[in-house]
Amino acid sequence: MIVVNCPHCGPRNSSDLRPCGEVTTRPDPATASLSEWRTYLYLRENPAGWVTETWYCRSGCRRYFTIERNTATNETRSSEAS
Amino acid sequence: MPTSIPRGYVRMPDIEFQSPISHGPISTPDGSVSIEDETSTTKVVVRAAAGTAAAADLGVPYGQSRLRADGTLVCGTRPDEWTLFAAAGRAAEVIAPVDTDGFVNAIDITHGRAMMRVSGPKATALLAKVCNIDLADDMTPDGAVFSGSVAKVTCDLLRADRAGEASYLISCERSFGSYLFAALADASTEFGASLPAGLSIH
Repeated sequence: MIVVNCPHCGPRNSSDLRPCGEVTTRPDPATASLSEWRTYLYLRENPAGWVTETWYCRSGCRRYFTIERNTATNETRSSEAS
Repeated sequence: MPTSIPRGYVRMPDIEFQSPISHGPISTPDGSVSIEDETSTTKVVVRAAAGTAAAADLGVPYGQSRLRADGTLVCGTRPDEWTLFAAAGRAAEVIAPVDTDGFVNAIDITHGRAMMRVSGPKATALLAKVCNIDLADDMTPDGAVFSGSVAKVTCDLLRADRAGEASYLISCERSFGSYLFAALADASTEFGASLPAGLSIH
């Protein structure tokens, strides 16, 4: 079990939330190359360490927020509303 | 987009209210737990963006509730969202004073949500069997509003103690109401309740 700290609801079991993956920057569709667009859609860093992720609080406040999670230890820190 | 009310349209207040829960209250012989259908309670959801007059008027922070002088219970259900509970049949009265100026809507969800009350000295123990929220007094005191999974159904909960005893109002989508009532009744058998004929989740 991973305990995720929702900025609105407080600490919740991760089964109450939905992970939405690493935070990425969306390139401008008008100017992005196919390579940049593919990278945005499909490629993730997936480090063994701290990563900034978006989560959705589906059973509680129904808001999106970002947290930092250590993918090696599942520690989390510094959540904030998106 | 239709510009007029389609033929055959029926206003919700004109429909005879029917609860999805077809069983009467269940209680243990020693009165430690009781489960009652309260679906007929008027339920109005108000979504109001920060800075609107409606948000300022409702004023209850997320996670808390307040009983107004007119008997309406205002619950801060989610950020920028409130649920108003009142006696059955009062939806129009509850909606009318909501200032809809700005990004605001107020919708009568009485028919769309099932609601039940679990109360008694062992209500917390019963709910703890099927709900993953911390129900300790310091986390969810009387008046607390929270959402979470109850018997694997996403529910909105309100702790509204009665006569000094723990009491929880649990609301869920109407289609889950019958199941949730049966699941709570099933959980109450540990405390001595016996299930009426025809009520089973197994």
